[in-house]
Amino acid sequence: METIIIIVFVIGYFCIALEHPIKINKTASAILTGVLCWTLYALSSPTESLTNSVQFNDFLEQLKLQLGDKFAALGQQELFRSFVVSELSHHLASISEILFFLMGAMTIVELVDAHHGFRYITDRISTKNPKTLLWIICWVTFFLSSVLDNLTTAIVMVSLIRKLIPNKDMRLFFAGMIVIAANAGGAWTPIGDVTTTMLWIGGQISTVSIMKVMFLPSVICMLTPLLFLSFTLKGELGETQEHHVKHEADMVKGGKLMLILGIGALVSVPIFKTLTHLPPYIGMLAGLGILWVVSEMIHPELDDAVKKNYTAAGALSRIDVPSVLFFLGILLAVGALESMLTLHHFAEYLAHTIGDNRIIITLIGLLSAIVDNVPLVAASMGMYSLDVYPMDHLIWEYLAYCAGTGGSILIIGSAAGVAVMGMEKVDFIWYARKISFVAMIGYFAGAACYLLLEPFLGSGVH
Amino acid sequence: MEIVVIIIFVIGYLLIALEHPIKVNKAATAIITGVLCWTVYALMDSESIKHIGEQLGHHLSEIAAILFFLMGAMTIVELIDAYHGFRIITDRITTKNAKTLLWVICWVTFFLSAILDNLTTAIVMVSLTRKLVPDKDMRLFFCGMIVIGANAGGAWSPIGDVTTTMLWIGGQISSVNIIKTLLLPSIVCMVIPLIYLQFTLKGNLGHDKQAAETGDYQKTHFRGSNLMFIVGICGLISVPVFKTLTHLPPYLGMLLALGVLWVISELINPEMDESEKKPYTASHALTRIDVPSVLFFLGILLAVSCLQSMEILSHFAAYLDNTIGDNRIIITLIGILSAIVDNVPLVAASMGMYSLEAYHMDHMIWEYLAYCAGTGGSILIIGSAAGVAVMGMEKIDFIWYLKRISLLATLGYFAGAVVYLIIYPYLAVHPPVN
Repeated sequence: METIIIIVFVIGYFCIALEHPIKINKTASAILTGVLCWTLYALSSPTESLTNSVQFNDFLEQLKLQLGDKFAALGQQELFRSFVVSELSHHLASISEILFFLMGAMTIVELVDAHHGFRYITDRISTKNPKTLLWIICWVTFFLSSVLDNLTTAIVMVSLIRKLIPNKDMRLFFAGMIVIAANAGGAWTPIGDVTTTMLWIGGQISTVSIMKVMFLPSVICMLTPLLFLSFTLKGELGETQEHHVKHEADMVKGGKLMLILGIGALVSVPIFKTLTHLPPYIGMLAGLGILWVVSEMIHPELDDAVKKNYTAAGALSRIDVPSVLFFLGILLAVGALESMLTLHHFAEYLAHTIGDNRIIITLIGLLSAIVDNVPLVAASMGMYSLDVYPMDHLIWEYLAYCAGTGGSILIIGSAAGVAVMGMEKVDFIWYARKISFVAMIGYFAGAACYLLLEPFLGSGVH
Repeated sequence: MEIVVIIIFVIGYLLIALEHPIKVNKAATAIITGVLCWTVYALMDSESIKHIGEQLGHHLSEIAAILFFLMGAMTIVELIDAYHGFRIITDRITTKNAKTLLWVICWVTFFLSAILDNLTTAIVMVSLTRKLVPDKDMRLFFCGMIVIGANAGGAWSPIGDVTTTMLWIGGQISSVNIIKTLLLPSIVCMVIPLIYLQFTLKGNLGHDKQAAETGDYQKTHFRGSNLMFIVGICGLISVPVFKTLTHLPPYLGMLLALGVLWVISELINPEMDESEKKPYTASHALTRIDVPSVLFFLGILLAVSCLQSMEILSHFAAYLDNTIGDNRIIITLIGILSAIVDNVPLVAASMGMYSLEAYHMDHMIWEYLAYCAGTGGSILIIGSAAGVAVMGMEKIDFIWYLKRISLLATLGYFAGAVVYLIIYPYLAVHPPVN
């Protein structure tokens, strides 16, 4: 059964990648893949390795506590079914956290945009040279992403370039570079990226050490593709001048206020998390709620029909719900693979056949372009113990780099990529042709840089 | 600290009820209420933060299961509507007699609402009466009956109504049993007002000035509409079947149906180019679903789940038990209350008040709750999503509804309730022990 599920996953993956030739929306393929994987999993019988696993036995212990006497009456198949349902509910919780976070962030950005709030930033960037602009955008993304999470950074930066670059073809290259820069920028700080944060919370890496050794490799990872594009990028930003002047006259009331509130809301999400220890989506929803109320209050003179464009209800009709459902489908599918321990087995298989940790981790980074990097890092954290590999050991730091930046190689390899795909309708194939190669060069350049630097800057733990 | 959370909840609730006078969208208020409740809870009890995080994760997973179910269902309905699929039903109604038409409309609403959610049913049926009943005064009575019919029809099927769906997803009721015990009470709830109007309704349907145009309109056949209607309805009906076979939560079945319908909608018109095809794809249907409602549910359910985690609700239930005593009276009151406040938080609160250990699946109180919360909202026009939608579409006045329909709806509500309380000892799988 495990093989069938893997086959379903692979076919689903191909349908997503070949969205345009086969003319089936990727969201439909993703949803079907996710649902089919879980259905097959629920209908299968438990495998040996699953029933022997820690997860399964932990679950049985808990169930025994809950049910008491009734526990003994349950057969193997019923136990397995309730295990699958509880796994699914566990995955759904973490998936929904991401989705509601995404919906909140997208709505906030749309709301600021409806009030033309981003014009206060874009008006300041006056360069007309695409290459200069590309450098500015990349560096801003890189440092923004080291503070904010990659997803929010990508959303903010893409909504900026929408205003700065009217030319669609040119904008796609910028969007691709934003994905690379957002992922690279997240890798070197403990709060910039989910996977680095996981390793930091788990005690595998320490703040100062990871920033010291990882900064240069992350910069290289972004800089190499940037240099490449500096020489090859051709074309114009496109004409904005006339629109610009027109809009200047009818600047929407409250634009500045909405921009400050919007950016403030996004930036305060990590602060909210630190203060309350609640998951980030709650902070994002708090920001959205406040912006929503303000957006309804600042236009008391407009009637309902005109006002609708400037309220969150209007903004919500413009956010990309298909992308949200796409994310739901693909994360459900990966969740099924993770729950069946397929990913775990694969990582173990790699460890046994290859041997050298550095090569394994490089491969894990490449793999994270196909599947979600969170379960991959979780699996690696389970594979290597802290007793054998102490804090700030080479493999943890290298893992933080690889899992953080490897996702840039395919557009669906990282959360930032998926968000950009939804916002700018970047095609999977287009990205694979134009960006994947440069992203991969950057990935390997950064990796080589880390492996060279590590003996000098690293903690020396081997 | 509990008091602070309760005060936040009550203020949030008042602001939601006063959405129109204060001009703040209820989704915004609901989100802020939900977030504030959890923030206060997390800040006051920072030692057990890990436990609170687990509780929140657990609730989020349940809430998300409801929300994705709703989003799937709403998209499927929008997609069928984009293909004019509902005309298969509406084209068949040709009668010109007001009373006959009222009976036909009510029964169609009743059974349509059992499959679709009440909101969609009300929207589809009101747009239909606009074509069939040109006389404005007469149409208002039809609209009032559509609200009653839609709410009554939703109560007895697990996929017909948000509240019944919540109880079904939560494992409080099972599909076969709820249909068996609630079908008759729901019918009575609708038929009583209907019989009353049968004797008192006066006037005629009026003349349709655009009769000729309508004739033309009905002739034009839309490609794929039959197919989309059949696949869509089968998809919706197969959700309970999927749950029974796989034991997976219903939202997965709904997503499966959506995925299949989505693929069909993309394959059905191969000759159209992208821009022509756009209005007929699921991506476009998704832009028309009511995302603010989804966020409203998210906010209000988060707030209720916080009260539940703090065990405020179970204390309140114990208080009610002690002062009133009889569960049946309490739930009847909840039903009447649902005419004033939204029934989703009411049911969510009741689900938190009574535990599944004390009241097992298909217990009388769950079934009766499904009936009361589902149909009690008809008593006032603002009491149900269907009512609010009809109010928006047909500009029904709150006071007009109160004068002409509320009394009928109340009669129907109590008649159905009595029928349920009489018949459940014979039909229920778990007859009362006493």
